[in-house]
Amino acid sequence: MVLEKALPEQTHARYWRKPLDIDSQKIPRGKVHIIDVRCKECGFCIEFCPKDVLEKSDKYNRKGYNVVRVVKGREDMCVACKHCEDICPEFALWIEEVKG
Amino acid sequence: MATEEAAPPKPKKEEPRVGVYICHCGLNIAGSVDVVEVARVAEKFPGVVVSKDYRYMCSDPGQELLKKDIKENNLNRIVVASCTPRLHEPTFRAAIQEAGLNKYLFEMANIREHCSWVHLRDREGATAKAIDLVKMAVSRAVLLEEQVEQKVPVIRRTLVIGGGVAGIQSALDLADAGYQVYMVEKNPSIGGRMAQIDKTFPTMDCSICILAPKMSEAGRHPLIEIMTNSEVKSVTGYVGNFQVEILEKARMVKDTCTACGDCSKVCPVIAPNEFDMGLAARKAIYQPFAQAVPPTYIIDRNLCLNKGHVIACERCVEACLAKSIDFSLTDKTTRLDVGTIVVATGATTFDPTKLAEFGYRKFPNVITTLEFERLINAGGPTRGHLVRFTDFKEPERVAFVQCIGSRSENRGNPYCSNICCMETIKDSLLIKEHWPDVAIDVYYMDIRAFGKGFEDLYKRAKAEGIRFIRGIPAEVRETNGGDLKVIGENTLMQRVYDETYGMVILSIGLEPQEDSNVIQRLLVLNKTADGFFMESHPKLLPVDTPTKGVFLAGCAESPKDIKDSVTQACAAASRANILMARGEISVEALTPIIELDKCTGCGLCVKVCPFNALQFVGEGKGRKVQVIEAACAGCGTCGAECMFGAITNKHYTDAQILAQIDAALEVGAEKKVMAFCCNWCSYAGADFAGVSRMQYAPDVRIVRTMCSGRIAPKFIRRAFAKGAAVVLVSGCHLGDCHYINANHQTKKRVEKMWAELDRKGVRKERLQLDWFTAAEGQKFADRINEICGIATTVTAEEIQKAVAAYKEN
Ligand SMILES: Cc1cc2nc3c(=O)[nH]c(=O)nc-3n(C[C@H](O)[C@H](O)[C@H](O)COP(=O)(O)OP(=O)(O)OC[C@H]3O[C@@H](n4cnc5c(N)ncnc54)[C@H](O)[C@@H]3O)c2cc1C
Ligand code: SF4
Ligand code: SF4
Repeated sequence: MVLEKALPEQTHARYWRKPLDIDSQKIPRGKVHIIDVRCKECGFCIEFCPKDVLEKSDKYNRKGYNVVRVVKGREDMCVACKHCEDICPEFALWIEEVKG
Repeated sequence: MATEEAAPPKPKKEEPRVGVYICHCGLNIAGSVDVVEVARVAEKFPGVVVSKDYRYMCSDPGQELLKKDIKENNLNRIVVASCTPRLHEPTFRAAIQEAGLNKYLFEMANIREHCSWVHLRDREGATAKAIDLVKMAVSRAVLLEEQVEQKVPVIRRTLVIGGGVAGIQSALDLADAGYQVYMVEKNPSIGGRMAQIDKTFPTMDCSICILAPKMSEAGRHPLIEIMTNSEVKSVTGYVGNFQVEILEKARMVKDTCTACGDCSKVCPVIAPNEFDMGLAARKAIYQPFAQAVPPTYIIDRNLCLNKGHVIACERCVEACLAKSIDFSLTDKTTRLDVGTIVVATGATTFDPTKLAEFGYRKFPNVITTLEFERLINAGGPTRGHLVRFTDFKEPERVAFVQCIGSRSENRGNPYCSNICCMETIKDSLLIKEHWPDVAIDVYYMDIRAFGKGFEDLYKRAKAEGIRFIRGIPAEVRETNGGDLKVIGENTLMQRVYDETYGMVILSIGLEPQEDSNVIQRLLVLNKTADGFFMESHPKLLPVDTPTKGVFLAGCAESPKDIKDSVTQACAAASRANILMARGEISVEALTPIIELDKCTGCGLCVKVCPFNALQFVGEGKGRKVQVIEAACAGCGTCGAECMFGAITNKHYTDAQILAQIDAALEVGAEKKVMAFCCNWCSYAGADFAGVSRMQYAPDVRIVRTMCSGRIAPKFIRRAFAKGAAVVLVSGCHLGDCHYINANHQTKKRVEKMWAELDRKGVRKERLQLDWFTAAEGQKFADRINEICGIATTVTAEEIQKAVAAYKEN
C-alpha cells in the first residue's frame, strides 16, 4: 500500500496501528522528472525537499556534475509540493501530479 | 502593598513562664514513650512553671486546659509535645491566641512522627529522645518573641492547569463566582479523557453529549480565557500573588477559522489521530475532534512540510477561503498575575506492551479499553462497529482481562486504578446492547463495584449472561485466523482454563502524566509513592497542597471516575474561592530585621535572596540593605549568609536555633546525630517515615527551619563544639526548593564546611548533606540508620578534637 509508506515516522510510539481509514485518505502524489543536462549539483532540491525524496547520484552529466536523482524506494513519497521546481536555479526538474 | 495588622508589639521584658504539655495521643505516643516521666523531667527545665501530660491535647478539653493554665498561672510561653507541627501547630496557635497570648509564643515538640512512631520497640530510647525534644523546644520557647503578621492582598484571578472535565468544572465554578479564570491546556482542545470515551458508567450517559455543553460553556464564558496548545513555563511568587508565564505555541491558524475542513482535504501529510488512539488518520492540519473547543484547526508543526522559515507547501493556505492560515504566526509568552492555582492535569493510561504475555502489539486483535472506547463510539473510526483488526469482522466471543498494569508490585503499578472494573462492566453491557449474541467473559482478580449505582450495574451485567471468571490469564496466544487463546487458572474452581476468543480487551490502568515532574517542580508539589500529586492531608485537606494557594482536582491527585473528579473540582474551586473572596491573607512573620549599625553594606545577603527582597539604600560607604517585606518569603537564607550578625530572622533567630542545639547535645552528645531539616521536604519526609512507622535508630535530634538555606555554618560549628558525633544538613532536592533555589546556598555552605573540617583535621564524614522529598520516608529512615552507624564509628578522641577546634563557637 503506497499510503502506508506516507505515514510519518515521528508520531508518539503509542499510536502504532495502521489507521483504519487510511485507504480513504487522499493525498496528492507527484512524479519527479529530472532534466539531467541542466543540473549543476547545487544541492538545493536535496536539502529542501521536505520528504527527502532526492539525492546526489554518481552519474556525471555533460557539464561534469553529479546529477540529482530520486532515492530508491522513496519514489512514492513525493507529495507534489513542487518546492524543488520553485527553488531550482536551472529549471532542472519538474513535478507531474499523478491522480491517485 | 502590605498593611500592618495592628500596632507593633510592645517590647516585653518579662521573665519567661513556660507551660509544657505532653500529649499521650491515646497510645500513639504513650504506647512507646513514658509521657509521665517526660512531663516530670520537663518540670525542672529553666523557665518551666507548669508541666503536665494529657490524653489528647488537640481535643477541646486539651485546648481548654491550655487556656485555663495560661490565665491561672500567668503563662507567657507554651510548649506542646505531640504530633508534627505540620499538623496541629495552627490548632494550638489559635488556642493560645484565644487566651490572649501572641501565637508566636508557641513551640511544638514532635514526639509522635519523629519519636514514638519510629521507635515503637525502644521505650527507653524513645523516652530519652522525647525528653531531649521537649528540652530543645523549651529552650527555644524562652527566646520566642511576639510577632505581628502582615496582610497581603490576594489577586482575584485563577490559573487552571489542564482542561479535562475536572479543570473545566473548576474553571466554570470560579468564573461563575465572578473571578477571572485562565485555563491552560497542552493539547489543541480541552476535554481530556472524557471527550474520548463513549458512554460513562454507572448511568451509561453518552460521554461527549454531557461534556460538550460544558466545554462550549467554558469556551463562551466571558470570564474564562482558554489557552490551548500551551504550557506553563514558570511560576514565581506565593499564595495570593503568583506570577505565571504561559507559552502559547502558535497554531498557525487564526481564530477566524470557520472549521470547514477544506485545508485538511488537500494536506499531503497523514498521521495517526491521537484522539482516536491512532485508529483513524488525520492530516498535518487538523481538528482533533468535531466538538473541539476551540474549534479552530491547528497545524502540527512536527509534521507540516514547512520547517522553520522555509515554505515548501502552501496547499492549505490556498484552500482556505477564510484566509485563516498564517505561517508568520509565532509562539507567544504571556505573563499572568493570579492569586490561586488549580492543578487538574489528569492521568495517562498504562501501556500494556510491557506485559509481553498478553501479546499487545504482537497480535492485532488484542486491544486496550481506551481503543475499545474509540472503536465503539459512533463518531469513531468504524462508526461504532465492533470489529477486529485482522479481518474487520465482528468477533463471536470477547474476553476482558482486568488489572492490566494495576495491583502488581513488579508488573506495572502497585495501586488499584479505581475505574477499570466498572469500565469493563460498562463496556461489556455496551457490547450486549448492540450485539446480544456476542459471548463475553471477564477475567478478574476482584471486582470492585463500590460506588453509588455500581453494584446494580454489575448485577445487570451478570443477568445479561456475562461470565466473570476469577484468575488473570497467564498467557494470550494467537491461533488460526487471528483468533486468540486465553490460558490461565480459575482460582475459584482451581481449574485450568483454555478458551478461544475473537478479541481480547485489556483493561488498562491509569498512571501519572509522563510530564508531571514539570508541574511538580514549578509549583513545588509533592508526590505520593504512586507518583500522583500529594494532598496536604489525605482526609481533612484532600484538595489542598503543601504550597498554599495551589489546589488539586481530578486524576492528577489519584485515579478516579468522572463523578469524583467533578466533586473534587468543585471542592478545589471552593477552596480557591475562600482565599480570593477574603481578598487578603496574613503571611507568617518570618521576615528578616536588618540592624543598620552592624550592616556594612557588603551585599552578600542581596546576592543570595531568591526573591529579590533585599535592596540597597544609599551609596558608597554609607550603603545599607533594606527588606521589601511583601516580597520576602521567609526562607532565612540571608541570615545564614551575613558575616556581621546584622540580620535577625524573625521566629528563627540564631539565638533560638543555637539554644536548641545546646539543649539537644547537653547529655550524651558523643552518640548523637544533630540534624537540620527544612520544613517542606526533609522534615515532611521524616514525618512520612513516622506516619508509615518506618523504624530507625533513636540517636537523631532534629531542628526544623523553614528552608535549609537558613542553616548557617555557625550552627554546624556549634554542634561540633558541643561534641555531636555527626551533623546532618538536609533539604529539598536541588531544583525542588520551596524558595526557588535557596538550597543551592545550603550546598555551597556545606561544601565550604567540608573544606574547613578538612583543614581542622575533622573527619568530613561527620558532616552529612542529603536531600529528601516529602514522600521519601523510606529514604529518610535508611539514611538516618546509615548516619547513626557512622556516629558509632566516631571515637572519643575525634569528638575531643572537634570540640577543641570549635570551642570558640
Ligand atoms: C478507557 C477509560 C474509560 C473510562 N470510562 C469512564 C466511565 O465510564 N465513567 C467514569 O466516570 N469515568 C471513566 N473514566 C475516567 C475518566 O476519564 C476520568 O475520571 C476523567 O477523565 C478525569 O478527568 P481529569 O480532568 O482529572 O483528567 P483528564 O481527563 O485526563 O484531563 C487532563 C487534561 O489536562 C491536560 N494536561 C495534562 N498535563 C498538562 C500540563 N502540564 N499542562 C497543561 N495541560 C495539561 C491534558 O491534556 C488533559 O486535557 C475512564 C477512563 C479511561 C481511561
Ligand atoms: S502547508 Fe503544511 S499543513 Fe498546510 S497543506 Fe502543506 S503540509 Fe499540510
Ligand atoms: S533571603 Fe529569604 S528571608 Fe531573606 S529576605 Fe530573601 S526571602 Fe526573605
